[in-house]
Amino acid sequence: MTPKIKASSELPVASVTILTPLTAPITRRGFVKMGGALFVSLSIPAGLSLHAAESPTSLDPSVLASWLEIHSDNTILARTGRTETGTGMSAYYAHAIAEELCVRPETISLVLGDTDRTPDGGSSAGFLYGMANVRKVAAYTHQALLGLAATQLGVPISKLTVADAIVSGGGKSISYGQLVQGQQLDLKIPVTGTPAKVDPSSPEGNGGAGPGLAGLDGFTVTGDPPTKPVSQYKVIGTSYPMPGIPDKITGKTQWTCDVTLPGMLHARMVRPATLGSTLISVGALDKKQYPTAQVVTKGNLVAVLSPNEWEAIGAANSVAATTKWTEWAGLPGSDNLTKAIRDYKWGAPSQSKGNPAEVNAALLGARKTMSATYELPYVRHAPIGPFLAVADVRSDGSVIVWTHSAQLQGLRAQIANTLSIPTDKVVVRWLDHSGQYGRTTFGGDGAEADAVILSQLTGKPVRVQWTLQEDLAWSSVSPGYVLDLKAALDPNGHVIAFRSASYTPHQSDARLLGAILAGMPCCLPRPGSWVATESPFSAWSYDKIPTRLEEAYGMPNLAAESASGGLRGNIMRTPGQRQQNFAVEGLMNEAAASAGADPIQFRINHTTDQRLIDILNATAKAAGWEPRPSPHPRARKTGNASVTGRGLCIVVRNDAYWVGIAEIAVTPSTGAVQVTKFTIGADPGKIINPRQLDRCMKSGVVMGLSEALKEEVTFDKSKVTSTNWTRYKILTMEETPEIKVVQISRDDKGFGGGSEAANALGPPAVAAAFFDATGVHARRLPLTPAYVTTLLKAQPRTP
Amino acid sequence: MANELTLSVNGANQVVSAAPETPLLFVLRNELKLSGPRLGCGMAQCGACSVLLDGEEVRACITPISYAVGKQVTTIEGLPAVWAMQKGLSAPDAAKTLHPVQQAWIVEQVPQCGYCQSGMMIVAVQLLAKNPNPTVAQIKDAFTNTPPSPHLCRCGTYTAIIDAVQRAATAMRAGKQAAR
Repeated sequence: MTPKIKASSELPVASVTILTPLTAPITRRGFVKMGGALFVSLSIPAGLSLHAAESPTSLDPSVLASWLEIHSDNTILARTGRTETGTGMSAYYAHAIAEELCVRPETISLVLGDTDRTPDGGSSAGFLYGMANVRKVAAYTHQALLGLAATQLGVPISKLTVADAIVSGGGKSISYGQLVQGQQLDLKIPVTGTPAKVDPSSPEGNGGAGPGLAGLDGFTVTGDPPTKPVSQYKVIGTSYPMPGIPDKITGKTQWTCDVTLPGMLHARMVRPATLGSTLISVGALDKKQYPTAQVVTKGNLVAVLSPNEWEAIGAANSVAATTKWTEWAGLPGSDNLTKAIRDYKWGAPSQSKGNPAEVNAALLGARKTMSATYELPYVRHAPIGPFLAVADVRSDGSVIVWTHSAQLQGLRAQIANTLSIPTDKVVVRWLDHSGQYGRTTFGGDGAEADAVILSQLTGKPVRVQWTLQEDLAWSSVSPGYVLDLKAALDPNGHVIAFRSASYTPHQSDARLLGAILAGMPCCLPRPGSWVATESPFSAWSYDKIPTRLEEAYGMPNLAAESASGGLRGNIMRTPGQRQQNFAVEGLMNEAAASAGADPIQFRINHTTDQRLIDILNATAKAAGWEPRPSPHPRARKTGNASVTGRGLCIVVRNDAYWVGIAEIAVTPSTGAVQVTKFTIGADPGKIINPRQLDRCMKSGVVMGLSEALKEEVTFDKSKVTSTNWTRYKILTMEETPEIKVVQISRDDKGFGGGSEAANALGPPAVAAAFFDATGVHARRLPLTPAYVTTLLKAQPRTP
Repeated sequence: MANELTLSVNGANQVVSAAPETPLLFVLRNELKLSGPRLGCGMAQCGACSVLLDGEEVRACITPISYAVGKQVTTIEGLPAVWAMQKGLSAPDAAKTLHPVQQAWIVEQVPQCGYCQSGMMIVAVQLLAKNPNPTVAQIKDAFTNTPPSPHLCRCGTYTAIIDAVQRAATAMRAGKQAAR
């Protein structure tokens, strides 16, 4: 359960000189006969009570909240409320701690996620924020340990050095373990933040219209303890392996799906077509054929349970076949998605950046303008393992849930709200499972509410396993977009003004599905949309475009006027920016073509940002890019023989610069598009772990190409129809191109994000390559054979 | 109705009590507590549940246990013993070894979430038994076009898998050479 860091090789030993004195006081809880430890825990702000001690399922609050434990055997236990999402974050947390404490990462064990055993870490996404926290914790701890050592050795802190957990100075030395030997020491670290809770007046609840889920950021460590200069890093910057991999390879990992409890029932859910239908009558259960099965119903929540999983499956199928639901046909159908979004009565944008009057004047006054509309379908996270959870609602009123959520405290608050019990009665434990890709970042559920409600109704522990069909129909989805862009050009084709408007159903519906179906208390979704290029995560890089206006419009879920609201919209990896950048980079590529300029040079002409220019040049060099405008002189849109093209895009997100270059082959007669090579470059500032970044870059390319070529959630008027892997298609190994990686690490630019953004490069780069090959702009995804053949037949060849 | 059936799993005979049509996956996981094979699609479309049956990959989610009776079932938990036998290792050495495919998966840092990787390693073992030195195209073909469906990875680890298969192939050729 505890991912122990394991090293495949010895790392260089750290040695630094510390110049700054102790900044947080250590207190002594007492002396112990054996062992001893330093506990590093939160100093909770006044007025903020965690009530941890009141809960029968929680531990001592000081241990509950502890971030670090330095043990007398020189091992370290680190706890974070964040979890491993597959991108290697657990390794990064251990790196940061090891670096500041001057220890080897393999001496650190991690406890991740569990609400009763870790401090609230907020969402697991966005590791930079989480890493900044643990780095400060380690830095405070390091200072405290130096203070202890100075006293013990009788040497001033300024004369001490630390290497591999051994403090030396004045010809003497002592290990961290010896410093805590026989004692129980406490170090309180100052924090701010509020625990996750369901707040009736939170603006998160549809602008204050009802209860919303607030406080999803977890605790933030305050103050500025001295941290190690980048120039002295020994661990950060090395390719340390991701913890947990050996156990996953040998079968030792305990996954969420491996949790079994005495008396546990296996459940399979019986669902209507969508949230719009309501239950008329539950189908019959043949007790002769399924003697141990039982049907449990609450509102529109219907489940079949049995101690035997296979019996539960058979009985659920049989009950589902005769269960009757009301008919509902409120969805527009995926073929009419753009029209449905266009038809919505839009008011003011949710967010707007720029000066409308200036931009409109520039567009009116320009000698030449260009405009284009881009369309994106609904896509979804679609993990290989469908949602699953185990819950035990006990007779004393306490609740424990095993999950693979990436926002455990938010989920905990929502479960307590649904059951109308205090939050401290609920413990949520994390274990590995299939990837989430953002779908639980806002505290929403998969099978968790189902499991909790069924456990409460049956009085037994319940394991709910969703089917793939259920996951592909019922999990929250990343909504479609319509984006209108317009640019004013100077006589040289340079973009001088730029306006974009994006229209989309909202992406923050974290309501618990089980609670909605059972008619139990539930949050409202967060409304609206946002301008991604100006979010805290991202930046606008074309600073030579002097005038621009970006507007983001967000509508409720499609068919929200129905009883419970159509398709639940939610964020997915690189949210907002993935979609908006597709259009921005699409228009930049179209403008470059219109100007007869090489797409790389055209971008360099629109920026003064040297980091962007450097990564553009480095990636182009690695790809063997030959400067010329698109389309290729030999571009064609007919014929049985394939035609090739290359295309480029950028994205700047989370203080990291990314470039993607796609090389593709299109067969015009069949509409087949094959990506033959993809070169990806990243400059995320100081690279924490080149190997893990390499993994994230390559896998992000695969996910992005999958979106570019294959993915679309299809639905008719009453249900989602892309409910298996032959209908919701994702990229296969055969379709994966050779991927070339370029990395630039900088010691003086801080840390940028590496686990997101790579997947946003595929779609615009492939669309640009498609234009290069055929001379036809592809402004909609995915580039399926059917869409490509229609597109090539419909459009006249642009010059 | 539940019958007593004897299965040979990872080299040991196991008596299980289950209806004969029960998919092998649920028996391996719930009765024999082997957590390597995992439920993905439940309809042979993804490969997360793959195991070897007499050396041939099958999707355990749709394979009735009655079909597995009398055949050797191998999960990732049993791969080290398979390699130890091929290499003729002594029992103490066998206990310390990993299958070269597993070793390569660790060295190449293949898994992200890792949910599909048990099935991926099973395909790799089957492929390398038939083709000790596969090209990239042959690896892609084996993981994509072998019925009943492509092996799917949503995290996007395909290129790491290709690297790991090639690493394992090299190690296995060297290992078998040494065993001769």
